[in-house]
Amino acid sequence: MSEPTTWNPYAPLSAQTTRTLGIGAVVAVLLLWAIVSGTGLVSPNKLPAPWQVAKAFVYLAWDGENQRSLLLNATLWSVGRVLAAGALVIAIGIPIGVLMGASPKLNATLSPLIDPFRSAPVVALLPIMVMWFGIGEWMKILFLFVGAVVYLIPMVRDAVRAVPQAYWISARDLGATPMEAVRHAVLPLAMPRIADAVIVGVSVMWTYITVAEYVNAREGLGQLIQNARRFSAMDQVFAGIIVIVAFALLSYQLMQYIKKKMYPWETKL
Amino acid sequence: MSAPANPVSIELKDIVQEYPTKDGSGVLRVVDGISLTLSPGINMLLGPSGCGKSTILHMMGGVRPIGVATPTSGTVLIDGVPCTEAHDDAVMVFQRYANRPDLTVEENVAFPFRLKHWRARIDAAEARRRLDETLAAVGLSGHRKHLPSQLSGGQNQRVALARALVLRPRILLMDEPFGALDAQTRAEMQQLLVQIYEQNPCLVVFVTHDVTEALTLGDRVVVLSTQPAKIADDFAILEPRPRSVTWQRSTEAVRMEERILSQLHAASTGRASLRVSV
Repeated sequence: MSEPTTWNPYAPLSAQTTRTLGIGAVVAVLLLWAIVSGTGLVSPNKLPAPWQVAKAFVYLAWDGENQRSLLLNATLWSVGRVLAAGALVIAIGIPIGVLMGASPKLNATLSPLIDPFRSAPVVALLPIMVMWFGIGEWMKILFLFVGAVVYLIPMVRDAVRAVPQAYWISARDLGATPMEAVRHAVLPLAMPRIADAVIVGVSVMWTYITVAEYVNAREGLGQLIQNARRFSAMDQVFAGIIVIVAFALLSYQLMQYIKKKMYPWETKL
Repeated sequence: MSAPANPVSIELKDIVQEYPTKDGSGVLRVVDGISLTLSPGINMLLGPSGCGKSTILHMMGGVRPIGVATPTSGTVLIDGVPCTEAHDDAVMVFQRYANRPDLTVEENVAFPFRLKHWRARIDAAEARRRLDETLAAVGLSGHRKHLPSQLSGGQNQRVALARALVLRPRILLMDEPFGALDAQTRAEMQQLLVQIYEQNPCLVVFVTHDVTEALTLGDRVVVLSTQPAKIADDFAILEPRPRSVTWQRSTEAVRMEERILSQLHAASTGRASLRVSV
């Protein structure tokens, strides 16, 4: 008798089946969407049909009348902001997280200042950030930075602390100073999980980018959506959302790929 | 070079180690007044799991657990000098090899030369020479560019052993190094250790809970009782290595085994009766 495959978490699933099921679900939703909107069950002001969204997407991608691509322009701005904030998160967040992981004293000092924001809505800080940093580019980048760094720092700290003590002891026994033991024995082993923290950080930024760009943005995907909503162009709102989701997914997959290339030994630890 | 070329000694003077109990109500004594003088040769520290023998070994290496003063009282002397931190002459080999998974075999073995301490003492050419020599000695010359994940458990333990040997330590501290290996690989590693020891006799302290391993390797066997650790027995084995299966089945070897087992048994019943009296 073979094992059942339905309620069995260990049942193997072929790549083929995985793909079929995944694509099937997407197609089913598209179909449902098409029926609901196409038959007029829900007004197009609330839910535009898939083909209307596709048309809006084409228009946004290339506006022949004005010889411009609204989508490309908005995407470049949003990606630029995520990259700028991401660079800040990596340059500031990783060292702080590593130091907290390496020093229980520093961790005890800083974690009450950082950890609460993991569960608190960072969006609530937006008004304060507008007061402090104005409504310009700096505010947007700093908002993304704060939103992501409060996730990243605790993850980096935990990555460092998850490395078995044996590596530290062994390095110390060989004559390493405490700093050397952290740098040469602990940190290299924490790197894959630190990379995970960066991936989460960037994903978080893609969720906050729209919020950041709702405030006085002249460019960006968030602004594009906000603008379209103001003119009740629901088809463009949907197109913009789909582009953001696609970018978030794409950057996630890309970062996962890079991480696997950089740390091929991780799963074999 | 059959006689130890580098005289070196470790002296434990009345070592006591206590830890605060988990509920904080008192202290737990894990090592109770151990005094021991070790000289070059293969010294086996034999005792049941969790008896505190690793703690004693760590003290000899100068590696201190965090947050607790070790030893609580008593002194460890290496060549008559009190040892309070990681010692140049004493290098440890652990059961968990502590090989860096992102470094190749040769990078792992040369790892100590990344540290300021050794960079200041050993130049690049000498480091290179020692690396080649040590890799050959442990039989890893053909695996220089491999990653630890591409090696077997025994080969990983060879890497860990080589990383210690590359420093030419006068004291080699081994903390159940072959405990996680299968029987065949363990026998190979024991053979390798003997071979390396014969080529370059030093002071080996080898912690194990395996009676056969103690009888196969030891010039001297120190038997520790458990909870708290005390010296239950201490005797020499004069039979030259490698020790044949015939010797291991001889009356002499069987008597030693019985002697060790009865000591350990006495220690454990003592503990049981203590528990009843509490």
